[in-house]
Amino acid sequence: MRSGIKSLNTASNTSAPPDASLSHRIKRNLFDTPFDSLLTGVCGLVLAYLLYQIVDWAFLSSIWTAEQEPLCRDASGACWSVIDARHRIILFGLFPFEEHWRSTLACVVMIGTIVASCFPWFWTGKKLSVLWLCGFGTFYLLMHGGLFGLSVITPEKWGGLALTIFIFAAVSLIGMPLSILLALGRRSKLPIIARMVGLFIDFFRSLPLLTILFAAAVITPFLLPGWLQGDKLYRVIVGFAIFFACYQAENIRAGLQAIPAGQDEAGLTLGLNYRQRVSRIQLPQAFRNSLPSIVNQFVITFKETSIVTIVGFFEILASGQAAYGTGQWTQHYIEVYVFIAAIYFVFVFSLSRYGAYLEKKLRVGHD
Amino acid sequence: MTDNKADNVPAVSMSGVNKWFGDFQVLKNIELNVSVGEKIVICGPSGSGKSTLIRCVCKLEDHQQGEISVLGTELNDDVANIDEIRREVGMVFQQFNLFPHMTVLENCTLALNLVRKKNRKEAEDIAMSLLEKVHIPDQAKKYPGELSGGQQQRVAIARSLCMNPEIMLFDEPTSALDPEMISEVLDVMVSLAEEGMTMLCVTHEMGFARRVADRVIFMDQGEIVEQNDPISFFDNPANERTKLFLSQILHH
Repeated sequence: MRSGIKSLNTASNTSAPPDASLSHRIKRNLFDTPFDSLLTGVCGLVLAYLLYQIVDWAFLSSIWTAEQEPLCRDASGACWSVIDARHRIILFGLFPFEEHWRSTLACVVMIGTIVASCFPWFWTGKKLSVLWLCGFGTFYLLMHGGLFGLSVITPEKWGGLALTIFIFAAVSLIGMPLSILLALGRRSKLPIIARMVGLFIDFFRSLPLLTILFAAAVITPFLLPGWLQGDKLYRVIVGFAIFFACYQAENIRAGLQAIPAGQDEAGLTLGLNYRQRVSRIQLPQAFRNSLPSIVNQFVITFKETSIVTIVGFFEILASGQAAYGTGQWTQHYIEVYVFIAAIYFVFVFSLSRYGAYLEKKLRVGHD
Repeated sequence: MTDNKADNVPAVSMSGVNKWFGDFQVLKNIELNVSVGEKIVICGPSGSGKSTLIRCVCKLEDHQQGEISVLGTELNDDVANIDEIRREVGMVFQQFNLFPHMTVLENCTLALNLVRKKNRKEAEDIAMSLLEKVHIPDQAKKYPGELSGGQQQRVAIARSLCMNPEIMLFDEPTSALDPEMISEVLDVMVSLAEEGMTMLCVTHEMGFARRVADRVIFMDQGEIVEQNDPISFFDNPANERTKLFLSQILHH
């Protein structure tokens, strides 16, 4: 079709549309009438003033190192000394000081795993499983220790960024496969399975995340036998993963519903079995169809990890509160929150941009 | 499956087939025998059950009464049977149903890999030879969305042929195409017919029917109303409903 259109165009010798230059567009959009120019001018001034205030606070009048902390009292800008002095608490929580390298390395490994799984080359069930088992195994070994002469550090001492990343990764790792199973289960041809899965999903979606985490942390020990309980952190993660999976399952199901019935029929007539049709025809298209909401669920989940504070874990936000909570730093909570916000921003913004990139890439060949 | 030809087993045999969608009966007492190598064109007004009939042959639809056998194997609820039959029966759809997330070549090699267990090289060789047969080897690396309707339908035919089927079913293969693209698809179907493929085509392309069909079947309200060789069918239709239908589609 494309080549056909091109040849028709050259044959009739149509010209390209007039090229609107940048300066032309600026003039047309911002300074078309005197009133437009006035509006543009006023808004520009306000923006410039706000920008100057922020830059002045954050950079020009700010204090940077811990030794300069006494100067903070007289400075009009930000006192970044608090970050310099307390960043280890923010990043590592209660993790033993001399073992911080393990936590750092674990974070690097986990982020590496997440980044690697963003490359299409890894997008087969086998490669992703191997990648995540290795990445997650290494992360766990580094954090928990107990092998290769690493001292054991139990999960209640984990904290800060490492804990945030651990919860996010573990919830994704358990939740994604579970969500696929739930989505397929709810579309099962066997009414009993479809109903049960539907009930399961709707049950967990009707509960606030907080309730689920509380139940996982506090109530399940009374219900489960000792050997099945595991650490509180693991129970909370499983509860979180079920919550995540129920939402993600509905996103995936929406993607599955959007696939025309003929796709499955074409697979049937080629002799593909159910598993082959699901893995090669249905799921790839379902992920494409609901990519924005799937990415959205990951974004929400990354930010919602902060809720585990309630059941007594010091993920990055709670560690931040602990960091400014002592003595001389109590006034400098804004700087701490800005720092934590920046960390969240880096992760979540990258995730969103990656989602946007994927959408563009996957649109190849779709009309 | 080749010994079926020698044994003179019919490619498709249907007897006493009835089917309902809810309370609505779509197929009524269908009796049909198609021998190997025969080309059948099925026509009739919309809602007459012609698509349902050929969809029953590859069990995309279940029939509720009667017997359907394909190449001597009866279609029942036995899963192994159904898979075996689907591998020997190719189907081309009105809406092409190419997999939009795969290139043309990947569309063709998918089942060769997964079902026929061919390695990549073998599968690609087979796929390319069939894409050449439908005259679009140069589009192999493109995605379906980048092709015209006629090209997509030819890819769909090639994809089915990759499985080396004994029988090809066509469900209104040209109805979704722009007029200038119909002939490129029909040309491919004609050459397939000339090679001796067993074909059941639901189509309103009467020129195609005259040229290749051994038998033309007219269906109305779920019944086979009339069947005959194309010359007698078009020139001397026996049934009033057939006459009415032919007058509606031929006199424009």
